[in-house]
Amino acid sequence: MSDKVKDLRRLVIKAYHMTEVVFGEENKIETNGTITIDKSAIAGFNKFADYIEKIDVQIIKPREHDRYTNTMMDIIPISTKVLGKLGEGITHTVTGAYVIMTGVDVDGKQTHEFGSSEGTLKEQLYLNRRGTPGDDDYIISFDILFKSGMGQDRHAVTCAHTACDHFIQVFRNQLKKFKGDLCTERHEYHDVAKPGKKRVVIIKQVAGQGAMYDTHLFGKEPQGIEGGKSIIDLGNMPVIVTPNEYRDGIIRSMQ
Amino acid sequence: MGIGPSTKETSLHHFRDPLLEVVSADEELDLMGIIIVGTPDGNEEKMLVGTRTAVWAECMRADGAIISSDGWGNSDVDYTNTCEQLGIRGIPVSGLKFIGKVAGFVVTNDYLDGIIDINKSAEGAENNVLGENNVTELDCRKVTAMLKLKMRRAEEKE
Repeated sequence: MSDKVKDLRRLVIKAYHMTEVVFGEENKIETNGTITIDKSAIAGFNKFADYIEKIDVQIIKPREHDRYTNTMMDIIPISTKVLGKLGEGITHTVTGAYVIMTGVDVDGKQTHEFGSSEGTLKEQLYLNRRGTPGDDDYIISFDILFKSGMGQDRHAVTCAHTACDHFIQVFRNQLKKFKGDLCTERHEYHDVAKPGKKRVVIIKQVAGQGAMYDTHLFGKEPQGIEGGKSIIDLGNMPVIVTPNEYRDGIIRSMQ
Repeated sequence: MGIGPSTKETSLHHFRDPLLEVVSADEELDLMGIIIVGTPDGNEEKMLVGTRTAVWAECMRADGAIISSDGWGNSDVDYTNTCEQLGIRGIPVSGLKFIGKVAGFVVTNDYLDGIIDINKSAEGAENNVLGENNVTELDCRKVTAMLKLKMRRAEEKE
């Protein structure tokens, strides 16, 4: 057997850096580094009206974290497939601005599982981790007010993630059309087989027990909800993915 | 117990996962894939999914495995069983888990000597600060070095 490295597939992730997030008349993302958010467009999520009382979107500027936050359910990058399926081809992603989902129900019950992160944002959010924004990043706060008793209901929580996914999709659809050569960073990743080297696997043990303890896989878009499957519905059985599928956002954290 | 704010991995964490970055960049290792396994409620199911994970690694002829979890408590049952199932199949395993001062394994066995504590908080507890006790690149370098050491020892025994 040849010891030659075998290149299985290539994934290119192009990042577009955002320097400003503002409110305006329409939902828009531009290559000049500006995201504009139209708050009124979020009112269209009435199909989740059985579970969600209200959704509010706030823009949190870098270093302006001395403010109240409900418990943080997830932090989501704005990423989209441009060419190919998850794990291959081209993906566009945004740096400089991330979406944070927060949730509480009308009775004040926070949407959390074991431990809640509600409180003063600067005390409850550790910045500059791989899963959290950096010092200079904008936060787009997607704050969900659930109906009474719905804040920890699995279906209601999934609806909230779906609403957030719809919100992000508007920006994804524009991000898809960004000219490739205008990106601010370009990363190229290859799935490779390295014959003769030690063969290893990474095992990620993820949540799979219910509301706020769930993990979705295989969305159509990176970190997407649409088309995704809950690991609970897969019987929590092991699923294998390639390194490129993983780094292209095949997991949507639901805990 | 379950997954608290300080350890939980957000979608952004998975997108920029340092474990994948470190292992895939290591020239001595051939990363075959990432096995994602859930943590069911029932004890029987916990044993089942962890055992299937180890069987999968065996069928892939894995020389070693790194296991990582962002939860603790009842999910330790899953975690320790998966380590044991890998161990009895002769597959060296190292791992990342939150331990601190409050989250020692609720069950133990003979295959947990390669587990590294990801606690970063001064109090060694779930402090509800999102991301504080997350896996960092340094943790990943340690756990990868630990696996290499265990694989070398296993080879010497043969």
